[in-house]
Amino acid sequence: MVTLAIAKQTLEDMLRRKILLVLLIIAVGMIALGPSVGFLSPRESSAVLRSLGLAVILLAGLLITILSGIQVIPTEIERRTIYTVLSKPVQRYEFVLGKFLGGIFTVFVMIAAMGVVFLSVLAWQEKRFDPEMLKGVVLTFFQMTLLGALAIFFSTFATPVVNFFLSFGLFIVGNLSSVTDSLISNKNPATRIMANAVHYIIPNFGNFNLQNKLIHPSVEISNANVFIVQNIVYAVIYSAVLLLLAILVFDKREV
Amino acid sequence: MAAAVSIQGLTKKYLDVWNKAEITAVDNLNLEVNEGEIFGFLGRNGAGKTTTIKMLLGLIFPTSGSATVLGKPVGDTDAKAQISYLPEEAYFYESMTGWDCMDFYGRLFRIPEPQRSKRIQKALEDVFLDPKAWRRPLRGYSKGMRQRIGIAQALINDPKLLFLDEPTSGLDPIAHRELRDIIVNVGKQGKTVFLSSHQLPDVELVCSRVAIIHQGKLLASGTIQDLTTGDTVEISADRVSESLAGRIRGVVPAAELVGQRLHISAADPSKVNDVVDLIRGGGATLLSVKPHKRMLEDVFVDVVMNEGGA
Amino acid sequence: MKASTRRNLGLAVIPLLIATMFLQAAIDPSVREINKGQKTAFQGLSGEFVLGPLLGLQQAVAGLLWVRADEFFHSGDYDAILPIVRMVTWLDPHQLDVYITGAWHLAYNFTDSSERSDRRYIPASQRLLEEGDANNPEIYDIAFELGWQNSDKIKDFARAEYWYRKASGRHGADERGQAKAPVPMFVWHQLAHSLARLGRLEESVDVWKKALSMSEDFVKKNPTDFSRRNVRDSEVHNLELTQKRIFSRYKHELDWEVDAKVGKGVNRETGEPLSRDTYVFVTGSEVSQKAAAYAKAGLSAPAMAVGLPRPPAIEPMWNTAFDVRPVFTAPKVLEVKGRFNVGDGARVTVRLHDDTYRNAQLKEFSFDINQDQTLMLDQHSVRAGTFGRKVDMSKDPKMYSFKGDTYYLVFEFNPRATSPFIHDRFGWSGEGMTDPKYLWTDSSLQPDVRWVRKVYRITRDQVFGASIPESAVVSNEEYARMMAEPMTTK
Repeated sequence: MVTLAIAKQTLEDMLRRKILLVLLIIAVGMIALGPSVGFLSPRESSAVLRSLGLAVILLAGLLITILSGIQVIPTEIERRTIYTVLSKPVQRYEFVLGKFLGGIFTVFVMIAAMGVVFLSVLAWQEKRFDPEMLKGVVLTFFQMTLLGALAIFFSTFATPVVNFFLSFGLFIVGNLSSVTDSLISNKNPATRIMANAVHYIIPNFGNFNLQNKLIHPSVEISNANVFIVQNIVYAVIYSAVLLLLAILVFDKREV
Repeated sequence: MAAAVSIQGLTKKYLDVWNKAEITAVDNLNLEVNEGEIFGFLGRNGAGKTTTIKMLLGLIFPTSGSATVLGKPVGDTDAKAQISYLPEEAYFYESMTGWDCMDFYGRLFRIPEPQRSKRIQKALEDVFLDPKAWRRPLRGYSKGMRQRIGIAQALINDPKLLFLDEPTSGLDPIAHRELRDIIVNVGKQGKTVFLSSHQLPDVELVCSRVAIIHQGKLLASGTIQDLTTGDTVEISADRVSESLAGRIRGVVPAAELVGQRLHISAADPSKVNDVVDLIRGGGATLLSVKPHKRMLEDVFVDVVMNEGGA
Repeated sequence: MKASTRRNLGLAVIPLLIATMFLQAAIDPSVREINKGQKTAFQGLSGEFVLGPLLGLQQAVAGLLWVRADEFFHSGDYDAILPIVRMVTWLDPHQLDVYITGAWHLAYNFTDSSERSDRRYIPASQRLLEEGDANNPEIYDIAFELGWQNSDKIKDFARAEYWYRKASGRHGADERGQAKAPVPMFVWHQLAHSLARLGRLEESVDVWKKALSMSEDFVKKNPTDFSRRNVRDSEVHNLELTQKRIFSRYKHELDWEVDAKVGKGVNRETGEPLSRDTYVFVTGSEVSQKAAAYAKAGLSAPAMAVGLPRPPAIEPMWNTAFDVRPVFTAPKVLEVKGRFNVGDGARVTVRLHDDTYRNAQLKEFSFDINQDQTLMLDQHSVRAGTFGRKVDMSKDPKMYSFKGDTYYLVFEFNPRATSPFIHDRFGWSGEGMTDPKYLWTDSSLQPDVRWVRKVYRITRDQVFGASIPESAVVSNEEYARMMAEPMTTK
């Protein structure tokens, strides 16, 4: 209950931030304008709309996640509101979880809003609803959940600026999964070790990029639904790891 | 009487950025706060008051020493449920309304509805916050109103022990006075208040017992009465001869003679009769005998100055 | 938090992390499938478009780039498009239209001031399409484009047929994102046309029949689809036309008269009508073999229409009396005057190239062509037995640099690449024509094709105006030998 109260307060606080609102408006606007690239051939304009929509959701989701992830805890410390919270019968882990959930609820609301607009625009343009695209939006949300957990973990010991570069940097490195995957079979043993480490230890954000399949239905993967479930489980477990670490660090943190 | 707060040898040392020099913020502090008293915790800015309170609340961790709060070790959840805290320069969630903010804190205390709403209402009434402001966002509140919310959130759990850190700083005189009244009122309800302040007149008016901390060390503690005893008397006389002055100095060595005028700025009250007898017996004219009551401020300045921290 | 709780939580991290590693290993194969053919940011991207790919936004960046390329198309800034094509196809190897447009652009849009294509780009264009096809091996579009380019631009109908056949075995990705749509009927039509251009009329008929049966099935299920009815009707028409062509080209050999109505054969001797499934066109020598095979299998042999491809009955063979005189009237301005005694509409190919030029087969796609190479190709139509016009290469030094010392100037007629009505007259391989001076058959490659070809070996001076004597003519054998050698670079 305490965790949820903190999450709710965080969500309400985040939703009142103008920067997130502006981001949402820009993103929705870009998605809504997607069909205006119709001067391309029908097939390409559909692909462009699909890729543009997914990209806008990813980019806006990324900014929202990082902005909220790196801020939710430091803002509390900076404004000293954390004193009024932690001096109450609130466990520190409840605080960390509440802040994380609040951030993720925010991301969920934002992605859901963009997703609804995107799927509607797409259904309008293609004259049919494509449930496949929903999978892309869902995977983006779980990708952001993992990123949010990462940002929360860093925020327990790093300043927001440092955290921004750490989270963003790891997001980029984690997105190179196809590179690291190919480097694993490299001849150089040092490269191999590095590639293995990056591939298996750093959160692998590249896993979630289903765009290629969604934009080009001809791209087939043998077990698409298993793949999606695997990715969701991966995001949940890895987020749990990061949150555990965040709780352990924050438990000893002086505020 | 049971101790609401008991501190034994509490020490907090900080390392500087390069982990070389040590800064001792709180140095081997021993303190007892009794239940039901309004306890003044005095010290200059940076004396270690806030550090001590934060340690008592489990926000930071002591380097050594220990403390119990309401008989439980620091950080105990049960104890925390009966504690409340108003931080210095408290800042609340600006976008929330006063009521929502209180509701949030009420939830943190796990107070269920409908009790929660009743408590919120009572707390807001107790701090005399204008009901018209209850549903307005905090960002529109004046400093005084915010501080009332701060006190109200500290009252919502009907605490046994309140930690108030500089609650009156930065308030205008009227708000200041109203807030002081609120604290007195809280004290009358039998709650223990741990009031950290450098506003000595407030403390003197409100508190029953005080402790003075300077550079992390406890310099003095006791009831206000105890600390301010040791009043002095100022005596002046005219037409005092050298020989008379000599005799008077035999009683009060600090007597000064300028021309024929004798001035004793601080005589022990027990010596007053002897000195007056000598003056009158020696044919001099007694001009004035003025009793000097020591203010807490004098005690504070004395104590701190004697420690050498100017 | 108690120390023991902290330790337990810390220990819990380890099995969870190991679980993620196993999950990662399970996820990897799917990710490989998804990203197949996609190049990563490290493999040649730069500048403003790096960040997007790093974030997993390859497709979006590719899409936006392509939107930008579209602007360049409209403004005619063709040079700006090629690098974008390269980037887009690297970022998103599944944007079929980008390969197709890029390849079309390479093969058709680089021209000299007289709208002659710069054929030096054709190998690159082909290679781009082949790369795209390899990245999209399930989809017909690019294979179809390869077929089209080979037939329309290169006139290599054998390769065209190869690609059209591949395309016909694929499926489409239509604009609604529906996977596995059947290939459009025009793929089958082009396959049939390419077979006809190869002289394989019987196979062409088979393809038309197959297409027709598909369309009839479709129309039966969708009786209100009038556009598909039109397609069906055109298939009927083309099937008839091809059957008539077989009949008219080889009628002196046919045992069967093909009814003009689709698929109706009539046994001349018995007057019995035949359904179209019961007869096949075979070569004369196969009749007895096939009959024997059917007998051996215990089956009754279907009716067989013998269509032996052999020269039509033109006696004596038609003398084309080919000759041509090239003159450079000004530096790099070639004036061609020739005679060629075939029907109007036949086309003579005029080709001028460095002696080092060979038909390049690129291993890797690249836009970088050898700018020092000169390759001019022109087609001159025959009218009233003559052909020729002025070919001005002086205005396009970029295309025609003439940096080399020695060139070949080739005038040739390939009977197989000509129009069907010429085929009807002289046979598909030029069986009914001959030329006393310039007839040429390539014994090693296509022994039955009767080319007419005259080749000059000229010098740079001659390109710049010196007269070209008849002694500069080299034999067809010598030219063929030279072109078979591997390419040498200066």
